[in-house]
Amino acid sequence: MDQIMSSLAPRGGVSTKPATGGAAGESGGSVTKRLSNELMTLMMSSSPGISAFPRSDSNLFDWVGTIEGPAGTVYAGLKFKISIVFPPNYPMSPPAIKFDSPCYHPNVDINGGGICLDILQDKWSAVYSVQTILLSLQSLLGEPNNASPLNPDAAAIWDNAEQFKVQLMKHYRPIADDVTE
Amino acid sequence: MATDALRLHTAAKWQRAFERLNGAQPGIQGLLSFSEAWKVASDFLHPRDINDPGSIKTHDMQQVRAAFDLIGKAKMLSMLLENFLDDMRKQQYLVEREVRQYLEEYETTNQVDSVMQLIFRLVAWYNAWKPIAELGPTILSAYTLAFQTHIFSIFPPSFSRGFKELIASTFDLVNTSCPPPWAIPRDLPPTEQPPRPDYMLWTACETLGLLDRYESLISSVCYEHIEAHVYETCAKKWDEPMLPKLREWMTEEIVPWMIMPYARGARNAEEARTMLQGVGSRFDYHACKTLCDLRIQEIFDIIIDYPDSQSALQDLKVASSRPGLEDFGMMVNRVRGRLQECLQRVDQRSQLVVTLRKANKKRLLHPGADTKDILTQYVSIIRCLRIIDPPGVLLYKVADPIRKYLRERPDTIRCIVASLVGDGESGDSLVDENEPIQPLQQMQADDYNDPNWEPEPIDAGPDFRTNKPSDVISTLVSIYDSKDLFVKELQVLLTQRLLAVKDGNYERERRNIEILKIRFGEAALQVCEVMLRDMTDSRRIDQHVQAQKPMPLHPTIISRHFWPPLQTNSFTMPGQFREIQESYAREFHLFKPDKRLHWLSHLGTIKLDIELQDRTITAEVPPLEASIVELFSQKDTWTVDELVAELKSVEKTAILKSLTTWIDLGVLKEEAESRYKLLEIAEATPSGSKAPTRSVPVVEEPTPALTIQQQQAEQMRVYWKFIEGMLTNLGSLPLARIQTMLKFAPGYDRTIEQLAEFMEAARREGLVMVKDGMWKLCR
Repeated sequence: MDQIMSSLAPRGGVSTKPATGGAAGESGGSVTKRLSNELMTLMMSSSPGISAFPRSDSNLFDWVGTIEGPAGTVYAGLKFKISIVFPPNYPMSPPAIKFDSPCYHPNVDINGGGICLDILQDKWSAVYSVQTILLSLQSLLGEPNNASPLNPDAAAIWDNAEQFKVQLMKHYRPIADDVTE
Repeated sequence: MATDALRLHTAAKWQRAFERLNGAQPGIQGLLSFSEAWKVASDFLHPRDINDPGSIKTHDMQQVRAAFDLIGKAKMLSMLLENFLDDMRKQQYLVEREVRQYLEEYETTNQVDSVMQLIFRLVAWYNAWKPIAELGPTILSAYTLAFQTHIFSIFPPSFSRGFKELIASTFDLVNTSCPPPWAIPRDLPPTEQPPRPDYMLWTACETLGLLDRYESLISSVCYEHIEAHVYETCAKKWDEPMLPKLREWMTEEIVPWMIMPYARGARNAEEARTMLQGVGSRFDYHACKTLCDLRIQEIFDIIIDYPDSQSALQDLKVASSRPGLEDFGMMVNRVRGRLQECLQRVDQRSQLVVTLRKANKKRLLHPGADTKDILTQYVSIIRCLRIIDPPGVLLYKVADPIRKYLRERPDTIRCIVASLVGDGESGDSLVDENEPIQPLQQMQADDYNDPNWEPEPIDAGPDFRTNKPSDVISTLVSIYDSKDLFVKELQVLLTQRLLAVKDGNYERERRNIEILKIRFGEAALQVCEVMLRDMTDSRRIDQHVQAQKPMPLHPTIISRHFWPPLQTNSFTMPGQFREIQESYAREFHLFKPDKRLHWLSHLGTIKLDIELQDRTITAEVPPLEASIVELFSQKDTWTVDELVAELKSVEKTAILKSLTTWIDLGVLKEEAESRYKLLEIAEATPSGSKAPTRSVPVVEEPTPALTIQQQQAEQMRVYWKFIEGMLTNLGSLPLARIQTMLKFAPGYDRTIEQLAEFMEAARREGLVMVKDGMWKLCR
């Protein structure tokens, strides 16, 4: 049995690459369908302040999103662009999300735009969708998790709203209109 | 020396001339007698004033003839003629004076008598001055020419007018039994009766050469006469064929008239016919053409009057075909022959197309016209032009703008579909009852193996196809590129009709569906079949449920996927109604465990008995009204806002409307603004006597199904969300990019032109703006 298994193993190992490729190709259809549905849901839901759309008509796996800062927070009235890249096995794995606009925030890398949010990492579940991610990000702006900061400076001055606002506006770049590719 | 020669030459000439005059007479005897003859002859020929009786001399004709003879022998006739014409010229003022006098009289009185008298007078002058026939035709014709040239030169412009009128009056003259006094010369001996009333007139005209000179004028008079007759007798007269009558009239009126101006010299009928042939066919052609023109002018109204105006169309068809020459020969023979089909066509087809297109544009294709009317007229045009031109070239040319216009009208499909299923209320269906129901015909490619193939008519355009659908419905459906639109609209219509049926009699709809199946094919109408089956199934299920537990609710259960989207502004019924619904749903669930009922409470009607303290009111009302009165049974007084809060998802206006219904029925009363109270005891109304129980049918016709436009508007709303989404995230985009990105929207099938229109509309609403072809959202 072991022999058989071991003899099969390398072959299986060899065949994994094309097999996964094939699987990706097969699942590509269902992923596309899922993404289309998510897009439709997102378009038809009128959640204020969040929005996303595929960057180009040729690739449904690469989206651009826009998040408005929630009212009543220091981010109110500010808009941030994010990029959302879906993995081929979405929704088994979370999409890769980062801020394109510089965002001064305790949980956002001011240089790379990387985000520290549990549901985008270990807490990811297939029931989440673009809409839920965007909503979480929007609420994250007003309620940072200062316990695990990506931007320690920001986390340090979070409690001082005035000082934080000054720093925030120093880094903030308003979205230009013609930011298409 | 030269002078000698010259002298000799001159002498010889002189001698020759002398000899010619003197003849062989001795001495100058010949010369003397020649001069005597010259004197007699020139005195005889001298043009005299016929008004002056003193100047008229009687000549011894013997002597005159001898004199002419002598002059002729001396070869001096030409000299004499020249002399005579010279004299004539000198005397012309006499004629001129009279011409002026008569025409002045004509100009003041406008009576053609004066012209006629003038002509007779001129003939008198002509005859008075005419040389005797013995002088030979040369001299006579020279004289005639000189005389005619002269009188033509002195006619003032008013003469043509007068002459034309005179000729026009001859049409009546032909039919009078005896000529009026003005049509006979005054000096005619009373014993001599002309063979025809107009005979004298025409001979006089011919003598003066007026016929040749005014030939075109004479024929134009005849043309005008024909035209006047056609307009008078045929205008607006479409219920009988006018062309045969017109031809008959031509035979009886025009041909006899023509004999005088055109065939005087004919000795027998055969000759007359030959002489009349050319001009006759011209007149006949003109009659046809005039009728044709008239009908073309009237074509729009003729089409409106179809089928009562069928005869006019036949006329147009035959009249636009020129008769052959032998046809005219028959007319002259007074043999009324069968009208022959065309040999050559009058070039009126393009005229017809232009006129009809213009009339359509002006009278039909404008926003004021009802789509149904346009369709009816279009169908009539189809039928009418098919009579005139069976291959359909004319129809193709005329129909094109109508089809284009209809395509842009939003309710065209609905109208066609409504008439397809024979909408009873409209009365006149587009479809002829007698026309057999047949499958829709599709455009067919040319059959290259057809031995009877004929080339397309000469004036057919490049797009013209001979084998186009020929029945009316196919033609109408072919306005659109696909029949899917029709099937969709059909479903909407069927929905409305099925849901409106109250007595459970679906036979009519079933029949319609069967008819439509023949036209559109079985497959296209499968959905309609399901809809119909839903209706019968509903009744069966209802019977079953009622058997288990009798309930006052009889729902129509429809399969959502097979019905067009229904209006969704549903609401939850309050109180007892909801209980009934719920218990019905429970029973239904027991019967069909795999299915669930989803109530569309806003559709349907409810029959209510409202028991109040002093009276019972019976009413059949829509569910919303029932709900409201149900709420009033819980509490006597409600404000509008409370009702809105209670019923949720119902518009305030709808609630207010329902309240009005109950106020009208005397159940509710508006106490204060927006406060309504139940009237347990009827209030005395001004009208006084209200029956304690009354049934008021308060059933309005709801339109349960969303129309195609509403569906499209709904779709467009989805697309707008996508556009909004992409513009929010991607900044500004060119139109082409928006179009390609919209492929993410499900079922997006608009063209870029439609998108451009839509974006333009959005721009007008201030939602987006455009700069350098880049669209972006207004913030």
